[in-house]
Amino acid sequence: MSAPRIAVLPGAVADQIAAGEVIERPASVVKELVENALDAGATAIHVDVMEGGRALIRVSDDGSGMDAVNAPVAIARHATSKIRAAADLVGVASYGFRGEALPAIASVSRLAIETAPAHGAGTRVVVHAGAPAVVTEAARRQGTTVTVESLFANAPARQRFLKGARAEWRAIIDALTIVALIRRDVRLTVTHDGKEQLALPTASGLRERVGALWGHTVAERLVAVDDVAGPIRVAGLVERPADVGTASRRVFLSVNGRAIRDAGIVRAAEAAYRSAIPSGVRPSLLLDITLPVADVDVNVHPAKTEVRFADRWTLERAVERAVRRALGTEDAEASLGARSWWQAPAATPAPLGREVEPSALIETPAPTPLFAQSDDAPTPVDGEPEIVVPPLVQLRRTFLMFERDDAVVLIDQHSAHERVLYERFLGEFERGDAASQALLFPLTLHLSPAEAEAFEQAAAFIRGVGYQVESFGGSALLVHAVPTPHPRFDAERCLRETLAALTGDRAAASHGKHERLIATMACKAAIKAGEALRVDEMNALFVALARTTLPAHDVHGRATVVQLGWDEIERRFGRR
Amino acid sequence: MRFTISREKLQEGLAAVSPAVPSKTTLPVLANLLVQTTDRGIRISGTDLDIAVSTEVAAEIDTPGAITIPARKLSEIARELPAAPVKLSSSGDQRVTLECGRSKFKLLGLPKSEFPSFPAIQFDKAVRIPSGELQKLIHHTSFAASTEESRPILNGVLWEIRSDLMRMVATNGHRLAKMEVPVKGGKQTDLIIPPKALEQIRRLFPAEEELEVAQGENHLGFRSPFTSVYTRLIEGPYPGYDQVIPKDNDKVALLDKAAFISALKRMSVVASDQTHRIRLSFNAGMLKFAVSTPDLGEAQDELPIRYTGDPIEIGFNAAYLLEILRYLPTDEVRMTFRAPERASTVEPEGWTDPSKYLTLLMPLRLVD
Repeated sequence: MSAPRIAVLPGAVADQIAAGEVIERPASVVKELVENALDAGATAIHVDVMEGGRALIRVSDDGSGMDAVNAPVAIARHATSKIRAAADLVGVASYGFRGEALPAIASVSRLAIETAPAHGAGTRVVVHAGAPAVVTEAARRQGTTVTVESLFANAPARQRFLKGARAEWRAIIDALTIVALIRRDVRLTVTHDGKEQLALPTASGLRERVGALWGHTVAERLVAVDDVAGPIRVAGLVERPADVGTASRRVFLSVNGRAIRDAGIVRAAEAAYRSAIPSGVRPSLLLDITLPVADVDVNVHPAKTEVRFADRWTLERAVERAVRRALGTEDAEASLGARSWWQAPAATPAPLGREVEPSALIETPAPTPLFAQSDDAPTPVDGEPEIVVPPLVQLRRTFLMFERDDAVVLIDQHSAHERVLYERFLGEFERGDAASQALLFPLTLHLSPAEAEAFEQAAAFIRGVGYQVESFGGSALLVHAVPTPHPRFDAERCLRETLAALTGDRAAASHGKHERLIATMACKAAIKAGEALRVDEMNALFVALARTTLPAHDVHGRATVVQLGWDEIERRFGRR
Repeated sequence: MRFTISREKLQEGLAAVSPAVPSKTTLPVLANLLVQTTDRGIRISGTDLDIAVSTEVAAEIDTPGAITIPARKLSEIARELPAAPVKLSSSGDQRVTLECGRSKFKLLGLPKSEFPSFPAIQFDKAVRIPSGELQKLIHHTSFAASTEESRPILNGVLWEIRSDLMRMVATNGHRLAKMEVPVKGGKQTDLIIPPKALEQIRRLFPAEEELEVAQGENHLGFRSPFTSVYTRLIEGPYPGYDQVIPKDNDKVALLDKAAFISALKRMSVVASDQTHRIRLSFNAGMLKFAVSTPDLGEAQDELPIRYTGDPIEIGFNAAYLLEILRYLPTDEVRMTFRAPERASTVEPEGWTDPSKYLTLLMPLRLVD
């Protein structure tokens, strides 16, 4: 009789296998321990790491702590204080809940827990590579310190896959960064090999925490997002389109306070940038999403970075809308200095609730640049503000210039008009109500074979923006009606140039990406650099641009508006 | 050159010619006026190379000659001169002295030889045309010419001269205006004229004068006893406008022009800035207006009308419609239709004038 071929694994082996899922590398240990600390209600967490975590990981917190009865149980598998029954999994609010982390860590390291509850004696639990726990009394104030030494010392397979100390440290910092971004209310200090690496005080908002993490210049360059769509709130910071691609990209998503990875949400947020940044570069995104707990399922993956959504489509739409709205606000433009490019100095609104002193009306008050920015200031969306057109000057028949209290502002007339037409065409296309002026004398266009093919593929969209076109045998087109976006519009030339542009861009037409096609058409329809504009035309363009949702960028992602701050100009003249 | 002229005559001559001087030019002499002596007085001429204007005013000539003088400065001086005879003399090619009472000016001109010569046009085969009829044609049609540069031919106004009538047609491809007046014309001639030149003609020649019109190689000349205008002609063929004028429109509306205009103006407030799109529903006895502009709002209005034919709903550019109505000479107007995508006509109703006037408007596509 042979030995039984199938046997139940000893608990220690099972724990090691589980450790393989949850504990891949030192960074996972740090993450699990810090999350435990947060679940224990910690307000300050201190992390010490030696040699990239292989020698030592120590996480101390001031959380609730455990008493002598509970502390040893924490090491047992599926022991958790966080849920009791399967039903609790719906809307689970704590970071951990599986009860896998501590036993898994204990199985592959030398683990020591020192803990004390608010009122009660301290306890020390030591486990060595999954061996039975040794419990002793210890002196300690409230909180828990977990020390992990010799990680993977008994798991050579794991150890072989560990990278160098620097790489593991980088992974730890990444993990801690995510924690730091989620829990801005918690003080976090981190040392590596005895040197302080992070010292993050409690922060009131995401921007403050980002400033502490990556420096205040980075924080200043991000645009605040805050939008509510039904039960979904999307808040956070995103990169200004003009800066996208100039610094390393950072992506952080949280759903109900839990960091997640989700390609769909990232795609939705990036879609909001469509037409505002060049293709190929991707923006930094830091977004907090809040939605009803019943609409999200976090119990998908042990590392819990993936979640499921009950209604992904609505969520992605909400994200896209929120980011788009944020980009439409003035601080999304490529600026030096203050925001709100189109507002005439006189129209700069005083902050609400501040009374204007009578003397301020006599002595011209110093302009207050709209630097004041806080994460909780929502974008005003109701009511269309009066657009005051300042005196405009055309330079080189290419740029419109005006002055403001704090800056000289230049607008690229082609880019600006392109942006205006793009949004108008897109709106008309999506609503299906493009204006189409019938022609007394139909136009006849003779197309090259490539252009004819481009027309075939793009016909629906060309009709959608207001061309009534009929194929007239072979490669000839008969145009009966045309859009009339502006008085200088040359309908024939625009159609020709659009088709010519599309022939070199097979993908655009075949994938039916109407935004791209409309961007091409807007580019061809817009006034060009080199056209002299009358004052009324400049004024109309200014107003139309101010009413667009993304005034600061053209459809290729180039800036339409550039500001030169007076301080910069004065510096150049040696005035300061 | 030396002559004496009354202040009023000098001002009159300058007022006639100055508008033909371009405000910006790359050719410096075009900013000047050519002043030359004639048998009857002096002739003042100005040009921007497309259009040339020249007029003769009475003066006492001491020494014949010619010189060019900066147009703007001469006009500004003439405006401020005291009421006294003006003595003007030139020394050499460039120096001009102007004296009036105790005022004395010295100006630097340019030699006459630099001034472009006027097109050679023989007026011996000229057609004689009553200026008033020509002005009427210009007034009622030239507004409809295109200002957009893609089809140069439509930037001009077509002038057809026939033995018993004259006709002018202008269009920008979206709307068209056509008028004909019965006059004793001349041999069949088709000319395409820049509206700017027609504007000068309308401004310069009194309605009661008879004009001589003669054609050079690429130019057309208009001449009255004292004043002449030359213009470059646009080379054509002009599009076949007759084929696009609908002959079978079967729906006819009669509208009160003033009430129609005020309703259109009200609707325009809410219409799109760019397309000026409005929707008109013609029914027996009632015209309904509707405007809907995304991000702005909506408006409706009603106007009692006389209407025969099946109900029709049709979209228009309100700005085009208002512009046409401005030129219609009668209190009541007649509109005709066939289908929402076909041309509509707008004509004067009950006009006693022997002229025939027709305007045509292409619709804007309506989406339901």
